[in-house]
Amino acid sequence: MLVLTRKVDECINIGDHVVIKVISIDGMQVKLGIDAPGNVRVLRQEVYEKIRDENISSVRGETGAFVRAAGLFKMASPLLKKRE
Amino acid sequence: MRDFSIERIHVLKLETRDFGQVEIDETRVITMPAGMPGFPGVARFAILEREETRPFLWYQCVDDSDLAFVIMNPKLFEPGYSVDLAAALKEMSWRDDNEEDLVVYVIVNASEGVPEKITANLIGPIVINPRKKEAAQMVITGSPYSHKQPVFQSQT
Repeated sequence: MLVLTRKVDECINIGDHVVIKVISIDGMQVKLGIDAPGNVRVLRQEVYEKIRDENISSVRGETGAFVRAAGLFKMASPLLKKRE
Repeated sequence: MRDFSIERIHVLKLETRDFGQVEIDETRVITMPAGMPGFPGVARFAILEREETRPFLWYQCVDDSDLAFVIMNPKLFEPGYSVDLAAALKEMSWRDDNEEDLVVYVIVNASEGVPEKITANLIGPIVINPRKKEAAQMVITGSPYSHKQPVFQSQT
């Protein structure tokens, strides 16, 4: 891993289109500003991991449960949430 | 005289996780250029529909027959659900397409095995561009929704 030392207001460029700026440092917390094109996905790592882990968990579903859930959908519409 | 062999070229024999071998039109294959988080190396999927499992659809991977997600239209249980499709158009560089052309599904999780307890991932919707035959899993941040949103109301 490349390790760089930066002060507040200093930046790191990644490629030609991504700039990361140190906005402020407060104890153990660093605030970063990120400029990136719209097609570059910027995510907190834990958000990415949540989506990834949920994807992995979802493919373990047993088909029978969906067949029965489909039955619930068809016969019991009052079970459905109505938020609007 | 019609040459039927030409039509056959477009039929793809797809091995599926739950339905054995299925023949689909090649034009129904959807590519995910950014892939699916957690499943590196797979990019092509096809949506399979069965009467007995509606409103659930199978998002079967074309590159890996053992990989299939179950997806559904989120509005069926969360009518107010919406996704920032302008961001999706930008992220995917779908420049010539409109928000109303995109189709949104959410992945359903039945890993508990109990139909009443199925959940849907409302912060990781699959957004499909039917014209481009491309899709992406978006990540929604700062919304009131959960990655484990119950599909059915609590039974208690």
